[in-house]
Amino acid sequence: MGVDLWQRWPGLRNALVLIAIWELVGQFKLVAGGALPSLSAIVLRLWVDRADYPGHIWATLSASASGFLIGNTIAILAGVLFVTFPVLLRITRGLNIAIFALPPIAIAPILALTLSGMAPRITLAALGVYFVTMSATVIGLSQYDSRAANLVRAYGGAKWQVLWRVQLRGALPAILSGFRIAAPAAVLGAILAEFGGGGRWGLGTYLLGSLGRGEPARIWGIGLVATLIAGLSYVAFALLSARLVGTSRAVSLNPAAPPALRVDPSPWWHRIGLLLCSVALPFVVWWAFLRVLSVPSMLGKTPWDVIHYLFLSELRATAQSRLFSALAETLPITFAGMILGMGFAFVLAVSSRLLPEFTRAFMPVALITQTMPLVALTPLLVLILGRGTSLTLWVTISVTFFPAYVMMAQGLLLVPRAAVELPRAYGAKAWAELRLVAIPASIPYVFAAMRLTAPRALLGVMIAEWLATGRGLGNLLNQSRGYLDFNMIWTVAAVSVLISVGFYQIVLMIERRVLARMGMAATE
Amino acid sequence: MTAAPAGISLTAIGKTYRGRGKDVEALRDVTLDCDQGSFTALIGPSGCGKSTALRILLGLEPADCGSVSIGGQTPQQAAAAGVTGVAFQDSALLPWRNVANNIALPLEVLGRRVADYRDDIAQLIALVGLKGYENALPGELSGGMRQRVAIARALVTRPQVLFMDEPFGALDQILRRQMNIELQRIWGETGATTLLVTHGIDEAVFLADRVVVMQAAPGRIAEVIDIPFPRPRAAELFGQPDFHALCDDIAKVLHGG
Repeated sequence: MGVDLWQRWPGLRNALVLIAIWELVGQFKLVAGGALPSLSAIVLRLWVDRADYPGHIWATLSASASGFLIGNTIAILAGVLFVTFPVLLRITRGLNIAIFALPPIAIAPILALTLSGMAPRITLAALGVYFVTMSATVIGLSQYDSRAANLVRAYGGAKWQVLWRVQLRGALPAILSGFRIAAPAAVLGAILAEFGGGGRWGLGTYLLGSLGRGEPARIWGIGLVATLIAGLSYVAFALLSARLVGTSRAVSLNPAAPPALRVDPSPWWHRIGLLLCSVALPFVVWWAFLRVLSVPSMLGKTPWDVIHYLFLSELRATAQSRLFSALAETLPITFAGMILGMGFAFVLAVSSRLLPEFTRAFMPVALITQTMPLVALTPLLVLILGRGTSLTLWVTISVTFFPAYVMMAQGLLLVPRAAVELPRAYGAKAWAELRLVAIPASIPYVFAAMRLTAPRALLGVMIAEWLATGRGLGNLLNQSRGYLDFNMIWTVAAVSVLISVGFYQIVLMIERRVLARMGMAATE
Repeated sequence: MTAAPAGISLTAIGKTYRGRGKDVEALRDVTLDCDQGSFTALIGPSGCGKSTALRILLGLEPADCGSVSIGGQTPQQAAAAGVTGVAFQDSALLPWRNVANNIALPLEVLGRRVADYRDDIAQLIALVGLKGYENALPGELSGGMRQRVAIARALVTRPQVLFMDEPFGALDQILRRQMNIELQRIWGETGATTLLVTHGIDEAVFLADRVVVMQAAPGRIAEVIDIPFPRPRAAELFGQPDFHALCDDIAKVLHGG
């Protein structure tokens, strides 16, 4: 029976082994002189701090839940709207990508300036869930059973009846699996807003307050609690979807894919017009946001204010040099970390075709780390690695590695068995099989992973800079916050969003070229 | 009877899959000899182990017991020597390779110079009726065309032994008959020992010298039926009464006779 249990739950066995190793490493202070405390020490510390947690957890949880609710409501409505009027999806493309790619930490200070109370946290949590759920809704609504739709139409059903009876019901599994991915993102958004916003309660605030004290066990405790909340929210929606839809069908969702709907071919001026609208819209929204909230012009800077500050005002020389030196510190390390993280992921994913057992054992670990909020991870790495450049590099590697690995490994599992077995039937060795099938087949997933991880890489670097290293864009943002340099805060936020979006667009362009030449479709 | 040089021989093969709770006996005591140059069809309900038998012959899975020989070699040796050719149910084309390069894939795996086979590949493309599509990508082809590419690919190594796992399963009836006639012609020209796994009784009777009927739970051979029709067989055979009578006999064996 005991042996049977291990065979049935290899994950459980692996987890126990991992915990045992962790305990030993902690007990003997093997990592950076005790920066990684033993699990028992962390649990003990949690018990000592037990009076602190309810308030912080409640604050974070209520903000993320409200944001989750609001963000998803908007996202589903937007998805329905986009499917009904596909041209809207084209117009809002720029805005959607900006929302996906924006590093939350960059706009946290802005939200703290312009909104008050819990609003910044709720907004950032809502922004974190919007894109995933919106994409899931659009994909779910557009992949309906056309026969069922024809049936409803054949009985004289109107467009809305098709939408209601066929499309929305059919989209449910996709939307629910969107929720699953969105839930941890809401928690991350709420915690990041706590960094930028002051306030007394919240796990982010708690973490920030404990960071300077050199109490590894407490920081690990907070990190574990944050991870637990994010992970439980994921599990809750996985169970809910299993309950409602009947199966926990893993609708493989690529949260980084821009949903695309077929629009009738239109004349070039029409397309150019849409493109211009799509580029202009984020800036219009930015401007309208300030107008609607009537933010005082000293605090709230419009797009024009930022351009003026950076290129026309007498402060432009110092502003530019500060910004560029920050960028010169941030960007190289972002790219280096991303390439290394993706490289590790690629090698591991491709070679795991050779060792399927390894994939099976490793995948749950990779999935858990995905739900671990970045903010919780960074302080832990600070404890282990110190505050140097290697910290930034490792944060970036770790935030890009896991999602990239999960995406590539799952993608490779989708390669039809026959395609893999054909070379083997001709006596191909493992390496030939990799070279001929697995590596080319993984290329779409490499691109998809790049689109997914690029914004995360920048976010990871900025968090590390903000919290620990005191360099680069993240530090510039934090500093400007301290000096009440509102122009610079808005500038850094705008520039980091632009960089993210720009990189996303470049990858997408290369991806389309390469995949078209390879006769493959981009992964949706 | 022992198999001739490029014949196929399965002797007392057994294979059991160990699952959660219960084991599935996919094959029990399967013995089958195919002479060099013969055409054998393997037919049976799903779960009768015909695909498992094929995977064992291809060296993709080991048998639990019994012995396998392809022209006196193990499946792995035969595969590495380029003796075998294979077409799967799924065309299994690589989407990033054009038609010609997909056909050349087995040559690359076997480490042969693709340049030496340029003429062969062109001939094969013409043989399966895809002239002019050499540079097309699989995504640009219909399902039937893709399947024909897969058949050309199976023939590119000039195999002495040809394995086909429901190669026409995805095609419509008309195209399927056309491909059956084509396959008979190709087989006649190459003289390869051929083993065809299929669901279609008429296809099996039309093409094969012998039809091996299998049954499920456990997977085993129920009966081996010789097909008497002279070759070459023409399309008209599909309409003849004795053809139908033979198909009916096999159907009876299949449905628990």
